Amino acid sequence: MKKKINWAPAFFVGPHIILFAIFILLPTIYGIYASFTKWNLMNEPVWVGLDNYKTILFNQDSTFHTQFFNGMKNTFIFVGISVPLLIIIPLMIAVALEHKQVKMKNLIQSIIYIPGLISISAAALIWLLIFNKQLGITGNLFGSDVAWPATQPYAWIIIFVITVWGGVGGNMIIYRASISGVSQDLYESAELDGAGPVRRFASITLPSIRFPLIYTFVMTTGGAFNVFGQPLMMTDGGPRQSTHVLMMYIRQLAFGNGESIAGMASAMAVLLGLVILVISALQYYVMNRNAA
Amino acid sequence: MRGLTSLLLAVVLITVLSGCGGNDKNTIVFWTPLTGDDGAYMDQLVKDYNATNPEIKVKHVITSDMYTKNSTVLNSGKGVPDLSIIHADRVPGYVKQGALEDMTNVMAAEPELKQENYLPQAWSTGTIDGTQYTVPLDIHSVVMYYNKDLLKKYDAESFLDDDVVTIDEMLSLQGKLDDGDFVVNDALLGWVILSQIQNLGGDIQEDGKPAVNTPVMKKAFEEVKRIADAGLMTPYGEDGYLMFQSGNVLFSTDGTWSSTAHAGVEGLNFGVTNVYSPTKDKFTNRSSSHLFAMLKNDERTDEKEAGIAKFLEFIRENSLEWAKAGQNVASKQVNESPEYQEYMQSFFTSNEKEIESLYIYTYEYYAYVAEAVDTYALELARGNVDIDETLKTMQKFVEDKIAEGTGGQ
Repeated sequence: MKKKINWAPAFFVGPHIILFAIFILLPTIYGIYASFTKWNLMNEPVWVGLDNYKTILFNQDSTFHTQFFNGMKNTFIFVGISVPLLIIIPLMIAVALEHKQVKMKNLIQSIIYIPGLISISAAALIWLLIFNKQLGITGNLFGSDVAWPATQPYAWIIIFVITVWGGVGGNMIIYRASISGVSQDLYESAELDGAGPVRRFASITLPSIRFPLIYTFVMTTGGAFNVFGQPLMMTDGGPRQSTHVLMMYIRQLAFGNGESIAGMASAMAVLLGLVILVISALQYYVMNRNAA
Repeated sequence: MRGLTSLLLAVVLITVLSGCGGNDKNTIVFWTPLTGDDGAYMDQLVKDYNATNPEIKVKHVITSDMYTKNSTVLNSGKGVPDLSIIHADRVPGYVKQGALEDMTNVMAAEPELKQENYLPQAWSTGTIDGTQYTVPLDIHSVVMYYNKDLLKKYDAESFLDDDVVTIDEMLSLQGKLDDGDFVVNDALLGWVILSQIQNLGGDIQEDGKPAVNTPVMKKAFEEVKRIADAGLMTPYGEDGYLMFQSGNVLFSTDGTWSSTAHAGVEGLNFGVTNVYSPTKDKFTNRSSSHLFAMLKNDERTDEKEAGIAKFLEFIRENSLEWAKAGQNVASKQVNESPEYQEYMQSFFTSNEKEIESLYIYTYEYYAYVAEAVDTYALELARGNVDIDETLKTMQKFVEDKIAEGTGGQ
């Protein structure tokens, strides 16, 4: 008897696979190909082998080398500071919201989550006005004499402020959902055994939300490497290119004021992708091993 | 199942392509990069034209990232729009790459589409080796707004007498301003620097090679830096545009298009004049132009070209609506009309000297030079970086991009 094929899964997964192939997979493959070419989008790509990579990585006289490493350095600064903030702050909020004495939990959660729904352009305008020395709250209310977007470390600080303000909500929801699933019996037993809040957090909560933690850590790190909107809108890469992250250079090269230099931009994007891949794999390996 | 998937995919692709492309013989698909308020004014112009019941109607498609999409459709040959608006600095590169159709047939279909009927710079930016590739819509420039109340308060109204506000005149206000007031902001500073290059008799190219690390460029930055050094420029990192609107700045260097936004600020009593200059003898308002152009498309029929000609002739005669966007309309019929004189920007077409001040750079690699200037202008004007070193970096920045872009091919 002929076995009947169940087409239902294909019906649900198929459209996603098709869209993934068209909008993610094929452009990625073409982007990798483009990274080995000299291409300005208008003309046919010209194969140059590893030239773009050699220029970016080793030609110290080249603007592309300087821009790449400056952008990469600034990106690492952003990742190194924002990722811990975007993991620790939401975790603390989620734990605090689970406390029995906290009222109106859903309202607080909504208030924290809502900034994440605001577009980065609108959010940047709001925060730039707040930090405006002449017209904003910091200058008028607190008497601050700092031109925030034009002075370091304040330029980084306002970028982190807007990042945390808009970014904690998503991870907080994931942590809350995970923490609420932890059995209360475990906490009660630990309490009877004399474990304090810190011990309960370290020995019960953290191990119980191991997988959400790994997930958010890897995803937040990947997202942070792709940072673009905050430095573009808040500081435009200044002062002195100190907040000019790699994605800003890549976009400028690919679609900037001048004609496109898509081959070089693709090579930079591939290198950034490789960095993200390696770091994500390392994170997953280390966290999973430690948790095992 | 495979058939169903293929069908769905085909429907999606056909829908997308038919929305973007120019394959409908009864419609002129018209792409513009007008994503701001000006897009609405263009919409209205197209609506007015279509209300005349032309044989072929125009469909206005506002296209963000239009230049990237232009590259894509030109490369694939599919979905090429019938008509586009491009900026003046794109023309040399597009023509060199064979991306533009010339306007010979369009001009033949409507004889009034000719040089004499447009502002000279706007027309000539589309002329390459004697062939006309574009028909102009406007000239848009960096200009200088002034706060009438503040000029009166600081007894500086005389600065405007000869229509040239000099840097020395601005410096004469040093030590006379209240706390929180400034002489000028740093809005569009890159364009202001490019104006100064002309005021100082220089250029951004020499024999087709980019000329960024030059004595004139250095002088241009040093002149502007004098204002910042005297503490008369709005603080670095502050929103000087907003500070002008809040009534704390005498002069704001900004685009003609900002007049509509300034007019919406209650109590802001303002006028417009030329961008400041280091010399009394010359003033320049660095400008660009929106130009109608036809990207290469073998499928564009003669009938469509005739339809495009009709539309452009309508625009030439009826583009007063475009003045509402704050732009200097390129059509002489419009910019010499009494109604146009009611618009603030008509100041810049009020006499020959003003028209001459609207300078459009047409150097093939202008975009790279402008990008370099924009990237470093604020730091240079504030003295945050060494000028000689930075000019070297900027020169290399442009040369590297030319080598890797079209110029290297």
